[in-house]
Amino acid sequence: MNLNPMHQFEVYKIGPEINLGGLNLSFTNASLFMIISAILITLLLFFGTKKKELIPSKIQLITEMSYTFVAKMINDTAGSSAKSFFPFIFSLFMFVLFCNMIGMLPYSFTVTSHIIVTFALAAIVFIGVTIIGFVKHGIRYLELFIPKGVPIVLLPLIIVIEIISYLSRPVSLSVRLFANMMAGHTMLKVFGGFVISLGLLGGWLPLGFSVALTGLEILVAFLQAYVFAILTCIYLNDALNLHH
Amino acid sequence: MKNFKEISARLEIAKKNIKNIQENNKGSNAASFGKALKISTELVATVVVGTTIGFLLDNWFDTKPLLIICFFFIGVVAGIRNVFRSARKMYEK
Repeated sequence: MNLNPMHQFEVYKIGPEINLGGLNLSFTNASLFMIISAILITLLLFFGTKKKELIPSKIQLITEMSYTFVAKMINDTAGSSAKSFFPFIFSLFMFVLFCNMIGMLPYSFTVTSHIIVTFALAAIVFIGVTIIGFVKHGIRYLELFIPKGVPIVLLPLIIVIEIISYLSRPVSLSVRLFANMMAGHTMLKVFGGFVISLGLLGGWLPLGFSVALTGLEILVAFLQAYVFAILTCIYLNDALNLHH
Repeated sequence: MKNFKEISARLEIAKKNIKNIQENNKGSNAASFGKALKISTELVATVVVGTTIGFLLDNWFDTKPLLIICFFFIGVVAGIRNVFRSARKMYEK
């Protein structure tokens, strides 16, 4: 019995080792679970939109709810001009949500508990939003770093501060998701280990904690996907509308 | 004609109900939990980014440990500013 709480985060390769130009591109358990979540999302949306009935079946209801949920989120935070980014934000939200939720199943692997995965997602958002901002506003996008009503003496300091806070966006986006998922799963494993080591006599209390934590973790898994998507919308809004 | 009037009146009431539900849902518990998480990481992230920039510039200009100290404090200021800004946004909503 492996009681090490960090053991669940280990990445190991499945199948042969693939080396391409010095890059290790082997298929790992992380890749496997990413593919599983992508396939599950595709299946859900495929079967959810297959039979379009006036009175929806359960699977159609889930599909429609996820659509309206994301569409409403974009409309509320980024305005109607961001409608064309719906596919991107929807895919991002569904991917993070499914990765988080699949991680809640026993014997599975939580892809989002690795900072490299979340940072890659956040970097895509960050670079994409910056490019959109420059395409839309040209050089005037740099006005984002100059808040209104600041005395000229303070301007150099304020610009440095603004640049740091702009650069901190991908960091906070990725660290938030990664830290929440990793901390939650470590806690679950620690309490699970207590149940085993305390046995029949004292194991009931940590078992209760474990059950409660599982509920909390499911909430956090959903919430983190939601926060990730909504912050993407907010950053998109900054890039599209250029005022804070 | 009477039917039409009745239907439009009902529609009006239904629309009002939907609006009320939407307004009530704005400050739900899960959303506030999300906001709390957002603010707490924002503060940390700016400090980390500021310190990293200071470290890199120090290596570049060979001015250890001057810039790392400066940029650490700038990072702290940026973090507090970010938190203030998010809090104000929430308050205005």
